[in-house]
Amino acid sequence: MKALRFQNVGKIYRKSHLGKLTETVGLEGLNLEIEQGEVFGLLGLNGAGKTTAIKLIMGLHLPTTGDVEVLGRRMPDVEVLSRIGYAPEAAYLNKTLTGRETLELYAALSGMAAASRPAKVSEMLSRVGLERAADKRLAEYSKGMLQRASLAQTLIHDPELLIMDEPVTGLDPLAIKEVRALILWLKAKGKTVLFSSHDISEVERVCDRIGIMSGGKLARVMRQDEWRGKPDALENAFASSVTRTDGVGEIKLD
Amino acid sequence: MNTIKAIFDYTFREHVRHKVWLSAALFGLVLLTGGLVASALAQDERARMMLDLGLAANELIALVSVIFLTVHLVLQEIESRAVFLILSHPVKRWHYLLGRFFGTLAAVGLAMAAMGLVHWTLLKLFGWSGGGSYLLAWSCSFGKTAVMGALALLLSLALTSEAAAMAFAVFFWILGHFSAEMRFVAEKSGNVLLRTGILMFSYVAPDFAHFNYRDAWHAGPPSAAWMVAAALYVLGYCAACLALATQIFEQKEF
Repeated sequence: MKALRFQNVGKIYRKSHLGKLTETVGLEGLNLEIEQGEVFGLLGLNGAGKTTAIKLIMGLHLPTTGDVEVLGRRMPDVEVLSRIGYAPEAAYLNKTLTGRETLELYAALSGMAAASRPAKVSEMLSRVGLERAADKRLAEYSKGMLQRASLAQTLIHDPELLIMDEPVTGLDPLAIKEVRALILWLKAKGKTVLFSSHDISEVERVCDRIGIMSGGKLARVMRQDEWRGKPDALENAFASSVTRTDGVGEIKLD
Repeated sequence: MNTIKAIFDYTFREHVRHKVWLSAALFGLVLLTGGLVASALAQDERARMMLDLGLAANELIALVSVIFLTVHLVLQEIESRAVFLILSHPVKRWHYLLGRFFGTLAAVGLAMAAMGLVHWTLLKLFGWSGGGSYLLAWSCSFGKTAVMGALALLLSLALTSEAAAMAFAVFFWILGHFSAEMRFVAEKSGNVLLRTGILMFSYVAPDFAHFNYRDAWHAGPPSAAWMVAAALYVLGYCAACLALATQIFEQKEF
């Protein structure tokens, strides 16, 4: 069984304003399979379709064409979500709750038995280094602390598959190092990890394979042996595979 | 049920921390001012005036609170993207809506109970000797609050604009006091289309005649059948609004 399978998946966003229909292509003909235990990186510019692909996996979007299969189940399927951990690009947490209450909430939503929750929450708070701030409200947390709380909710139910949307964007170098170590630790535990990023150097350090996305299409898939030990191989492949589709021009230097 | 309870708990906690109970302080202020005016104007009718003023203030503050809170309830979580994280767990969308709705209703109900307690104590100090009628009056106000909360939630999801949803909710609240009059106008109308339109509107808008405890009390203490009919109306109207809200929410992509 594959951890993830996209079969000819397309996503078109339709917006109607004053009777005028606008269509934007989010994804086009995406075919991709990710093996269990694999660390796969989705690399692409803004608007390339990375977040759309992730939202289709999480059932937050519905495909216009094709099928998305997660851990053998066709999406959208609410039940399979208990086997997935999702870390969005920013910590979308309710700031009125404390760190402990937040983890208790997500443990309960993941279907964890009530009796085992308090111990698991304490263990997870300690694992991400938030035990001393556990009873503070998230409104008092710094950005780094929020990111850790978000990671803790991703891991609390010990998921088989981890989906991370831009996990290192906006983090300081020390936090980036910790996220990198976390991904490698998850891999060592046999978990499947899919993460999206703009950062080529991060992707090449931790991934088994990468997919380069451009304009809603999967432009290229590369294996680790295609870039390991070959300086600039991934950067060159990336530059030759992507084109800007967000309407932003180049910065002109006279 | 566990997911509904988890969402109920955090919604209730969120409202309490956002100081929904401050409405009881506002209520106390209204009563204090009203008491001073009543003392000056109508010495012999002081208790009756305080009773009417208190019940009206309790209902109005509760209605304003429930409309404001339910209109923001889901839209704000979509705006802050907190809903991404919740729905990326094994949470059915109708579980999410029910948890959010009942958590809000419980918080507003708590504020109403606090206001009722203050009011009851003051009435006793003013020498009021009524008994169970107060509980009936309070229950009818709570029934109206529940109906308006469910309607405001539906309007917020259908219109996706907080301002428009609030305006329509207030409009329906006003209409709800004139259901019998609308039906009377419909019967007198010679135009079939107009008659059908007005009749439809009179049934779609909440019918607050079901909660008119004053008229019911006028003919002696209300019967159990009257109370059961009022309770069934609340359940039926809320269930219809929540079912429609779920239909709309199920179609949403985040």
